Formats: sequence, structure tokens, C-alpha cells
Amino acid sequence: MPLTNNKPVDVVDVGTGNIANICSAFKKINISYNLCTKVSDFKGGKIILPGVGAFSDFMYKLKKRSIDNYILDKSKENISILGICLGFQVLFSSSTEHKLSKGLNLLKGDFDLIKSNMLIPHVGWNDCEIKKEKTDLFKDVNNNSDFYFTHSYILKKYEEKDVIAFTKYGTKFPSAVNKDNIYGVQFHPEKSQDKGLLILKNFYERC
Amino acid sequence: MLKKRLILVLTFNDGVLFRTKKFIPDYRYTKNFIDLWSADEIILLDISKNNKLSQKFLEIVNFFSLNCFLPISVGGGIRYFKDVDNLFKQGADKIILNSSTYKNPDLIKKISKVFGSQSIIHSIDCKRIKKNKYAVVINNMIKTNLDPIQWAKIAIRNGCGELLINSIDNDGSLLGYDLELINLIVKKVNIPCLALGGAGNWDHILELFKKTNISAACTQNIYHFTNESLKSAKEYLKKNKVLIRK
Repeated sequence: MPLTNNKPVDVVDVGTGNIANICSAFKKINISYNLCTKVSDFKGGKIILPGVGAFSDFMYKLKKRSIDNYILDKSKENISILGICLGFQVLFSSSTEHKLSKGLNLLKGDFDLIKSNMLIPHVGWNDCEIKKEKTDLFKDVNNNSDFYFTHSYILKKYEEKDVIAFTKYGTKFPSAVNKDNIYGVQFHPEKSQDKGLLILKNFYERC
Repeated sequence: MLKKRLILVLTFNDGVLFRTKKFIPDYRYTKNFIDLWSADEIILLDISKNNKLSQKFLEIVNFFSLNCFLPISVGGGIRYFKDVDNLFKQGADKIILNSSTYKNPDLIKKISKVFGSQSIIHSIDCKRIKKNKYAVVINNMIKTNLDPIQWAKIAIRNGCGELLINSIDNDGSLLGYDLELINLIVKKVNIPCLALGGAGNWDHILELFKKTNISAACTQNIYHFTNESLKSAKEYLKKNKVLIRK
């Protein structure tokens, strides 16, 4: 069982993207959070890794601040980690965005561009086919609920057993994963109204 | 499957919500959007005359970020990279570029490099010249020699993620979207496009989705600004077999 503690959620902030909206979401559901721009900011709570932008640039920013090592260390201490969008992608082995780049490798899998006959990026509300036996992150969320996506790369090689939800856009791809204390969602829960907020709450209370 | 989107466009002048065309301030609506569960996305446009990003508008963006948990796109008066950075810090998910990139297309590239192309919507204001022929208009009035498709391709090459196709002729007319214009552009690009200008009733939105490959319908008609009306629009579209979020 992952550690449950009452510490605020540590939200990784490397200076890009919509951190403000992650904060708004936690305020709305009354969960205290702590913004972490460097390793000394972390308070040892569960970790949220939100991300927008490009894969290699984001990995570089994590490395420059040694936040990559902090996350790897905490993952071994059974602290739960939730990656969102690009933060979800860097949990895996690699991506071909711009050039082949290595991720945190906490989960096995590789990202590649969405099929070329589809409009890119994949933007908008799409449904998740949720695996019934995995309920902690998706507790009380109906199967085929819609979430807001915006991304151009999808997980193409992956371990089937880690996948807790699939979404279809040209092809079926994993939109949520969980392995032990590592969680990730390709969509934006902070932008997905009540069901998205429920996922953040579930992560804090149950994962 | 990916749903078609219904996007609400709210225009602000000096911090007050405005109707389009008639430009009458309407204070009743400004901060009354926290119950908009049926909208798929919100666009906030600053139409203040000084054409500069104002503190008042930043506060509005922040208000929406704190209260609406759906994608928020923000435009109007964005000229510099620091404007964009400021807007993201206040809770914008995407920014909408328009006239400023006409002289400075590198701005698109710069934003895309840091925030990703998914964070940029490029708006194209189009004026009809003759059948199947349109001109790009900048700063609300200056007709350029650019063709919208040509301009769209430049914006895409520089890294925008979505296109907002705005018909100046149909704006505020309530006579329906300019399907000819929309089809002209949508057929030539491989990124999602959003249509703006002309929606007067639900049939106009249905027609747009049935006759073009558009990804989203934008409406800035004041009568569509309630959750009940959005809900009824969605029910109507669903009944007519448009794939839409509940």
C-alpha cells in the first residue's frame, strides 16, 4: 500500500505551463498544496508532476534542478506520484518528440506522434474506457466519462498490465496508467470539471 | 471518440463583459459563469481600445481560472512574449494570437518553443472579396493582400496548434456561419479549426458540424450565455447525431 499522509501535495513547478490551474483545482477541492521549484521546496507529500511544452525541454528543466533524482528517490520510498499530460509522458522510457529523448523510466513505454491522417494535436473532450478492476484513481467515475485532452504524442509501446484506461483517437492508446505508487493521466483532470476534480481528490485520498 | 466542441466567447472592455456589435456594457453577466458546466471551453477576449494587456483583464482571467474548471483561451492585446507569460501565470490554458504576428511571425515560434504548440490558437479575421476569395484583415480594419490559407500555413509552420476562423462579414449577423470560408480553410490544413461569427440559432451550429470538418463552434451571442441554453443546444445537436459531450 502506498503511504498515506496528511502532508500537502507537492506540485512540481519548473516554470512552464498552467500550474495556476492545478492550484485553482486543489483550492476548489480543499486540498493543500505546495509549489516546488527546487528540491529543498519539497515537503515529502504526494507528488503531482504537471507539464506542458516539449518532452526533452521538460526533462532538461527537471534535471537542471535535480528534481528528476528527487522523484526517482521518492518513488522508491513508496510516495505516490501523479503525472499529468507531459508530466505523464516523462514517467516513461522515451519519446521521439523533436529527437529521441529519455524520460524518467519509472514505467516502461515509448511515445510517438499521433497517426498522420488525424488532426494534430488531439484537442478536446474524449472518453476513457476504464478498466473495472482498477478503481482507486477512477473511484466513482463512470466508464466512458469524457476528459479534456491536448497533446500530439501518444504511448505506442507499453505494458498492457499498467494501463487503467484507454482512449481512441485514430488508434486506441493508454490515457491513464498505474503501477504500484506511480500514476499518470494523458488528459487534464484540472480542466475536466467535476470528474477531473474527483480524480485529483481520489489521488490525494486513495492512491 | 473525440467530441465536437461548443465554445463560449466572452468579450471584455475595460473589465466589463460586452455584447458584440452594439457595444453596450452589461454588468449582470460579467462574473456569472461559474455554473457553466455545459460549455466545453471558454474564450476570453479583451477588446479594450488601448490594445494593451491590462491588469483588469488579467484579474478576469484569474477569476475564471479559480472558478471554471474547463479550458480557458485568452486573446486580445497580446503583443509580447511577456504578455503570454503573464496570461499563463493567471490561468490561461491557451492564448489567441492575431494581428501582432502579421509583422512578427517569430512570436508564434517563440511561444511554441516554451509552452508548446498546443497552447497557441491563431485567429484569422477574414473579409469576403468575391466567391471563394477572402482577404486577411488585421487590427479589425486593415485589409491585407494575404489570402487566409496562405496566412494559416505560415502560422502553422511557425507552430500554432489550432486555428480560429473568424468571418468579419457574418460577425454579429446571427445569419449563420460562413461555410464557404470555413470549408476553404479546413480542407487545406491538418490542425483543428474553430469557427466564429454568425451563430444565431442551434440550426446554424448543426449546419456547421454537418457541412464542414470543423472541430469547434464558437458562439458569442448573449442569448447563449446561460447553462440552460447551452444544454438545450447540446441536446439538439445530439438528437441530430453530432458527437457532443453530455
